[in-house]
Amino acid sequence: MANDLIQISVCSGTGCLDAGSLLVRTAFEDHVRSQGLEKTVAVNFGGCAGTCPQGPVVTVEPGGVLYHGVQPGDAAAIVGEHLKGGVLDRLRYEPPEEPSKIPSTGALPLYRHQVLRVLRNKGLIDPESMEEYIARDGYQGAAKALTQMTAEEVVATVKNSGLRGRGGAGFPTGLKWEFASKSVADQKYLLCNGDEGDPGAFMDRSVMEADPHSVVEGMIIGSRAIGATKGVIYVRAEYPLAVKRLQKAIDDATAAGLLGKNILGSGHDFELSIYLGAGAFVCGEETALMRSIEGKRGMPRPRPPFPAHKGLWDKPTVLNNVETYANVPPILLHGADWYRSLGTQKSAGTKVFALTGAIKNVGLVEVPMGIPLRTIIYEVGGGIGKKNKKFKAVQMGGPSGGCIPEHLLDTAVDFDSINATGAIMGSGGMVVMDEDNCMVSLAKFFLGFTADESCGKCPPCRVGTRVMLDLLTDITEGRGKPGDIETLIDICDDIKNTSLCGLGQTAPNPVLTTIRYFRDEYESHIHDKWCKTGICRDLASFEIDPEICTGCGVCARACPQEAIVGEKKKPHRIIQELCIQCRTCYDKCKFNSIQIKASRKLTGVAAAAEGGKH
Amino acid sequence: MSDKPNILVVDDESIVIRSAELVLKGAGYEVEGANGGREAIAKMEQKSYGLVFTDLKMPEVDGITLIRWVRNARPDTGIVILTGYPSQDTIKEALSLGIIDYVPKPFTPAVLLDVTQRAVHWVLERRGAAGKGEEEKEDFPPSMAAELDKVIEFYRDKPGSLIPVLQRAQEMIGWLPVPALRRIAQGMNIPPAEVHSVTTFYSFFTMKPRGDHNVRVCLGTACYVKRAEEVMKTLEEGLGVEVGGVTPDRKFSLEEVRCLGACGLAPVVMVDSDTFAGIDPKAAMDVLKPYG
Repeated sequence: MANDLIQISVCSGTGCLDAGSLLVRTAFEDHVRSQGLEKTVAVNFGGCAGTCPQGPVVTVEPGGVLYHGVQPGDAAAIVGEHLKGGVLDRLRYEPPEEPSKIPSTGALPLYRHQVLRVLRNKGLIDPESMEEYIARDGYQGAAKALTQMTAEEVVATVKNSGLRGRGGAGFPTGLKWEFASKSVADQKYLLCNGDEGDPGAFMDRSVMEADPHSVVEGMIIGSRAIGATKGVIYVRAEYPLAVKRLQKAIDDATAAGLLGKNILGSGHDFELSIYLGAGAFVCGEETALMRSIEGKRGMPRPRPPFPAHKGLWDKPTVLNNVETYANVPPILLHGADWYRSLGTQKSAGTKVFALTGAIKNVGLVEVPMGIPLRTIIYEVGGGIGKKNKKFKAVQMGGPSGGCIPEHLLDTAVDFDSINATGAIMGSGGMVVMDEDNCMVSLAKFFLGFTADESCGKCPPCRVGTRVMLDLLTDITEGRGKPGDIETLIDICDDIKNTSLCGLGQTAPNPVLTTIRYFRDEYESHIHDKWCKTGICRDLASFEIDPEICTGCGVCARACPQEAIVGEKKKPHRIIQELCIQCRTCYDKCKFNSIQIKASRKLTGVAAAAEGGKH
Repeated sequence: MSDKPNILVVDDESIVIRSAELVLKGAGYEVEGANGGREAIAKMEQKSYGLVFTDLKMPEVDGITLIRWVRNARPDTGIVILTGYPSQDTIKEALSLGIIDYVPKPFTPAVLLDVTQRAVHWVLERRGAAGKGEEEKEDFPPSMAAELDKVIEFYRDKPGSLIPVLQRAQEMIGWLPVPALRRIAQGMNIPPAEVHSVTTFYSFFTMKPRGDHNVRVCLGTACYVKRAEEVMKTLEEGLGVEVGGVTPDRKFSLEEVRCLGACGLAPVVMVDSDTFAGIDPKAAMDVLKPYG
């Protein structure tokens, strides 16, 4: 009987829930109940499948058939087809790059390069069921660590695995644990950083929502390694679903004796609680996060003393990221060598990335370390989303990271190679940009973020980011002057060298990398008053190329200013005096006939043209 | 406006209405009764009342529905609930809808009069403040003060609890008015300056009242790349407020948020707890239509 069981797994990630997956699940359940199919069809919630824009996503086993955009009304049809051994073609996921329908998830290009270790349970288990987690080897790593290994052995295993912190800087996890395990104190703390603050990153949210027990288990193992009896998971208040699921995981694990006193008869005690962050990017920095748990302003403090000696409440403390903890249970279960079997010499294992931006397959991907960026973007990600648009850069590491241009796309994804490009691995946000993105505006966007989020403790960061933001604003609004680029680089160096914490030390990265790889754009903004993407309105004028224009009239109808004129089927023309550079015509034109030229006002073209007429 | 506003008592048990009438009329209030939510709404459409006392569990139109209606249609009317089941959940829900206080059933005349006096005081003071245009004088209702004290009591001896207390307070009141911060400082034995400094450090906390519906535009990288800034601009123009502002009718407040972690849905706008994905910058105002 069990062999014939059809398993319907409805995604319960934030993206799909918002698209209505709760109703879809209820519809499946109602249908199954009304038809008396309880013994042949099982309906459950699965975690994020990583294809968020196509939600609600439903996976059906056997066969691993993936359905997108499923509505409650589709439940009967899907169940009906699968009972007959068929597949409902109408809703089956069609990968954009290969029009023929591909039946199973394993064969999709999106999945071919992926190795799921951290996301091992995504979509396969109901995140709210501890039993389903246990059925997939859950809590076995913790059991092994607690009952068969000494604390030193646990530390040694993690150290040998080569696991490096997934929060950004890539510090070796085992080493961190070793420092803390050697500190002597009446109380030690183990913390988990779930304050995922990088804009453009959602790996940790997904792990906490799809597989909360893996984080809890990783923390149990960590607590054993360093001898901590209290643990705190620091989660953003903006992630209510993650908080709810983590709390349920903690409650269930406590009820089962996996948390609390004398876990599994090992004599080890570990209590775990959740602390809601209140929205401050700097709290991703470890000393700031600890201050925040103490109920203070989350501002960093100098190190040493390092948290491994004096952390939360001045007790030895270890802080790791969500993804780091999720990596730990399989390491304990399968051993350090198994973990090292993937990845590079210095960066072992896999890394989860949140692939977003101007790309076809948006979502979470997990790939072995060392894979080239090009493979992630063009094969896993399916390339640039819009037809006729070219890849320009990929932004890694959020506001602390940088932009990597086309010619460096063969860079291997590991901590050290990415650092060499001027970007950082960061927590795993990967935002792809096509030629319609202006790099100066992008740098300005990130600077605006860090200037807002600077805690204000160190003047170079507090004042410096503000001054840079002003300079960048001037450049994007046509007030740039020769020497601005040099001034920017100069301030960047000062901020980097004199800031206390990671926020300040890395804040200049977006500016430095865009200057390094896209200096021509800065120069055309400053000298030619020309933003070739038209994003900076003050630095652009729009013209229709009469050679290309077919006179279809789409742009004229879309223009909010009624600034486009022309006879049907004949080339149109933009009345420059009316144009407000809103870019609508550029987006609407299917023939790429709209050309973006330098600002007429600022370069005096308008005046010259006027003069020429008379 | 007299200092004894008229009162409407809503309950499906007429004995409750009669006994409330007896007590309140004796104290000089003008009192009327309604046998359920529907009758209450009909009465309030005809006439305005200073205060409404309502039961929660009633057939057809229940208390929570009535409260919602009153908050929308008669925002000047104060609401007090009468409940035989003062469970945390229902009271919390009612509090979040902006009631002044609650009377547990069965009640003694002393309790009813006491709560009535406090509610009347609050209604009158609010009216006075609104008349003078003194936003700052706006206090939070006595029931919330009592709830806030309970929260403070619970956390008082736990080190590092200021942030959870502020979170709970904001959850109850909707924002953090200065009197609430002062009360927390006093209760937690923390200098008011420190409470203020923590409140202003974290973006989650707000010392400005929000609108009935809080509109948040995600400005994370993925949303930025998909032109969330233009979405924001459309909303600013459409609502006539700048980011961080509240519309004059207090219907909408507009905020920016740094990445909701829903990058696959970019650009994203959240209204209260509803998420809207893939917003067309030009049609951003359409999102707000269902919220009136």
